[in-house]
Amino acid sequence: MIAIIGLLLGIVLGVLLEPTLPASLQPYLPIAIVAALDALFGGARAWLEATFTDKVFVVSFVSNVLIAALIVWVGDQIGVGSQLSTGVVVVLGIRIFTNAAAIRRHLFHA
Amino acid sequence: MPEPAPGPTAGGPPRSRRARSSRPATERNSADAGRHPSRGGGLDPMARRAQRRRERDREQAPAASARPGDARPEDHRPDGDRPGRDGSAEPGRWASLARALLVPSRHQVLLGLVLGLVAMGVVMQVRSQSADDTYSTARRTDLIQLLDGLSAESRRLEDELATLEQTRRELETGADSERTARQEAQSRLEELSILAGTAPAEGPGIRLHVTDPQGKVNAQVMLNAVEELRDAGAEVIELDDTVRVGTSTWFGDGPDGLVVDGQPLQSPIVVEVIGDPHALEEAVRFRGGLVSEITGPQVEGQVGVEQLDRVVVDTVRPPTVFQHAEPVPR
Repeated sequence: MIAIIGLLLGIVLGVLLEPTLPASLQPYLPIAIVAALDALFGGARAWLEATFTDKVFVVSFVSNVLIAALIVWVGDQIGVGSQLSTGVVVVLGIRIFTNAAAIRRHLFHA
Repeated sequence: MPEPAPGPTAGGPPRSRRARSSRPATERNSADAGRHPSRGGGLDPMARRAQRRRERDREQAPAASARPGDARPEDHRPDGDRPGRDGSAEPGRWASLARALLVPSRHQVLLGLVLGLVAMGVVMQVRSQSADDTYSTARRTDLIQLLDGLSAESRRLEDELATLEQTRRELETGADSERTARQEAQSRLEELSILAGTAPAEGPGIRLHVTDPQGKVNAQVMLNAVEELRDAGAEVIELDDTVRVGTSTWFGDGPDGLVVDGQPLQSPIVVEVIGDPHALEEAVRFRGGLVSEITGPQVEGQVGVEQLDRVVVDTVRPPTVFQHAEPVPR
């Protein structure tokens, strides 16, 4: 319940306050979002597997986001930013799909 | 409550071999390719955790069970209030999910915080995507490439523009010169047709009324008069509204008097002349000229001279068809 409230609150805040990132951070937001989605799916799967701990969840969430952004930032510095961001998105996407499949199996046995 | 556990994103947790081997084969197959031993999948996570703890304890004290592999996990559950086993456990699973959603806990606060963050980020990103298009998030190299393409395109278009403008100028000057030539030819044609007498003409000039009661005005007098008028700049001469004087006009004396171009002229003769009126009048009035000749004792006629602002000459001559002469090709 609180989680859903938090989700709605986040949406409302984003819509109402219209926060803007500094332009230098702008390219890393999409990657960070994908990484956060991956962390969320991983958390859900861990919860279903009864291995969920909030500490691990928070740490993995933050580190996922930071590492994804960092990888892309480093890629930008050495001139392969677009390729690296594509790679990160692909890897995270694969992980999201894997996690989603595990969640599906847990919930529906299918 | 927080218990050391594998990371949520780290795939399957390193589970104990014993737990896996303790499951019946059918159950293992129904699970996720054997990767996630969803033992007690229908249970609430807390209960499952308790179960694992119990199993761990059992591992540390192997004497507790003679052959753990034979035992089903459910057998070791002291609280038998959990309904259902795997497979038939849907309601319990969903119920635990619903309970976890509804019952406030620290998890929930944390998850709410994280979800709120992610939602905010997504909203920001969606906003920035929809607000200003692709360029704000594009990379520098992409932008440079884009810019290069655009400037090359604009250079190409400018070249094309210059070429087209050049063409337009050429066409315009061509059209201009053609128009000028046509106007020139037209005015020349008009000039020449007035000169040849093939076109009607109008303009300032004089009108002479020559009264000749005795019929003494002959071809010689008339020819002299025409010559003098021409000397004075006469451009168009018409006699009696019937004869247009041209290059091939001839004057003769017929039985009934003066004949011009085959037309007999009777007194009074009206001579209409287009030219500078003042010069023309001078040309007929000078001593020994037309007026003095006609009013003189030999003819004893009268000449009326009037200057007019507008003399209209309608009579035309048939165009001359040249049989021998033709223009020299330029």
